[in-house]
Amino acid sequence: MPSLAKTLPQEQKAVLRIEDLHTWFEVRRMGFFKAGDVRALDGASFELYEGETISIVGESGCGKSTLAKTILGINHISKGSIFFEDQDLSTLDKEGWKRYRSSIGYIQQDPYGALPPFMSVQRILEEPMKINGIKDKAEQKKRIRQVLEEVKLAPIEDYLPKFPHMLSGGQQQRLVIARAMILDPKMLIADEPVSMLDASVRVEILQLLQALQRRHNLAILYITHDLSTVRYFSERIFAMYGGKIIEKSSTVALLQQPLHPYTAALFEATSDPDAENLTTFKDVPAGEPPSLMNPPRGCRFHPRCRKIIKGLCDQEMPPEFWVRKDHAAACWLYKDKA
Amino acid sequence: MSDQKVLLDVQNLKLYFRTQAGPVQAVDDVSFQLKAGHTLAVVGESGCGKTSLAKAILRLLPRNISTYTGSILFDGKDIMKYDDDEFRREIRWCEIASVPQASMNSLNPVVRIEDQLIEPLLIHEKMSKQQARARVAEVFEVVGLPVDFLQRYPFELSGGMRQRAIIAMALASDPKLVVLDEPSSALDLLSQANLMNVLKKIKHEINTTFILITHDIGTASELADEVAVMYAGKMVEYASAQYFYTDAHHPYSQKLMASVPTLREDKELEFIPGQPPSLINPPTGCRFAARCEKKFDKCSMQPNTTHLGNRATVQCWLFDETGEVKHA
Repeated sequence: MPSLAKTLPQEQKAVLRIEDLHTWFEVRRMGFFKAGDVRALDGASFELYEGETISIVGESGCGKSTLAKTILGINHISKGSIFFEDQDLSTLDKEGWKRYRSSIGYIQQDPYGALPPFMSVQRILEEPMKINGIKDKAEQKKRIRQVLEEVKLAPIEDYLPKFPHMLSGGQQQRLVIARAMILDPKMLIADEPVSMLDASVRVEILQLLQALQRRHNLAILYITHDLSTVRYFSERIFAMYGGKIIEKSSTVALLQQPLHPYTAALFEATSDPDAENLTTFKDVPAGEPPSLMNPPRGCRFHPRCRKIIKGLCDQEMPPEFWVRKDHAAACWLYKDKA
Repeated sequence: MSDQKVLLDVQNLKLYFRTQAGPVQAVDDVSFQLKAGHTLAVVGESGCGKTSLAKAILRLLPRNISTYTGSILFDGKDIMKYDDDEFRREIRWCEIASVPQASMNSLNPVVRIEDQLIEPLLIHEKMSKQQARARVAEVFEVVGLPVDFLQRYPFELSGGMRQRAIIAMALASDPKLVVLDEPSSALDLLSQANLMNVLKKIKHEINTTFILITHDIGTASELADEVAVMYAGKMVEYASAQYFYTDAHHPYSQKLMASVPTLREDKELEFIPGQPPSLINPPTGCRFAARCEKKFDKCSMQPNTTHLGNRATVQCWLFDETGEVKHA
């Protein structure tokens, strides 16, 4: 793997642009009385460029998977817009949505759960093509051969008749990647693609994704809770907390100095294999992430934050402060440094 | 702590499961010694026998056992000689407690935490309800939970809190050894770090001996005095953590370490090509040989266990007693 010196792409085309995106889920009491909204994603804006990987890190319930699913069109958009290659998704008709979906590949977290157990490898790979109108048998064969070669499931003939349970975890995940690649997408959304895999297989899958990215100039949205893998894999890192993106940074800048106290805590909590760890305690905030139905006023991290500025953090939501040209944090600590 | 006495001495432990295809050699000839007050981290990939080892020590066995042999000396007593009833009465939970994998989800949702936590004390320690309640409140404080949470139901606690409640349950009977099976892998990063802090505190204050089973080598370093690496049912390396993290000996341990991504340090990640062998008909020689870069002709025989001073014990033909690499 190349070292962390992956930098921001210059002057590249944005594949995906997201503006002030909200996804709220309505909660009903007794079936029809509206009890409130779960603000799973509460205002996210960014651009994803060709050939670039953005890592989205955060703990469970921070809205990272909601973001992915909203981009995929699985969740509805409550407010804001998504532009794919400068086309506003809200203007798309049914055919347009189908075309859009065929140009993003989705890699799920649990490969075994993502693969239908009653379909052979061949059928799993044919299915997206059937749905998206690639009917020519020769073309289908050619594509299957190509993707399986790319994900290194060889010899291909051995794998085609197999069912998912006959494959190991790593092979299953490679099949999921092959399925995501079969329609030749422009963008991949990888939702915790390696968290269910063993350490040694993890590296193999990440390297495979990286090779695919280089060959096809793919834009990748890499969603993970594991900070330690992102440095090997992405140009930019976004940290999310309580439905908000709280820090945006190039990987290099973030690794030097995380700005937001929450990101710093994530950093502190990540253990590198080192015998010295035995002697030190981790300085991490206690408490739990906030309820997204009734989020705290002001910054959502303020009840757990040690650097809280009373009267400000608990009153007003901090905007994004761009401390450097490649590093921003939504935190009042940086209001004078932007 | 190095002059502590040996609490657990496992010799030639074997645990084979009977299946239609033949016996599965889940734990094959494992020997190690663990000193009182130390923590042993057992690491390895899924299916390498980590959990089976824990089950073998606790004698929590399924019915399809074909072989269960070896000796386990616990606190000087040969507990393999105990019959099941004796073992249950005298060892399990009183002396060796366990926190099984995903056990935070095994709390009964309709019973208050307190009533669940005092149960083992009533059964194993024959305490009165009052005594048990007081004891549980004590350990609740040890794991850093507010005592009034005892009156809550499991769903009113977050994952991290439930996990700590389970650990409190294991500590309540004041066991000498606690086996933790993946205690933090279902938790979020910050809860994980908090839990590790709690375990570290317990380790220092109460001097409990832990066996920590995990696939996360980074997190293991938070607690481990010793590290045992398992591969395909064998314990291929048993090393002092102090040396292991900088200088692992067995080629598999080295590869495993090279595949662990690090946050603070930039390194080239490697992966191990191929897959672990089937445990039904494992290769006769070294089980890692097929994937090993340093393989040579001797590897077709099962390697001896080589002691490299007090640093490590390795099952690999590359080493002799002086720690010299014989075939570079």
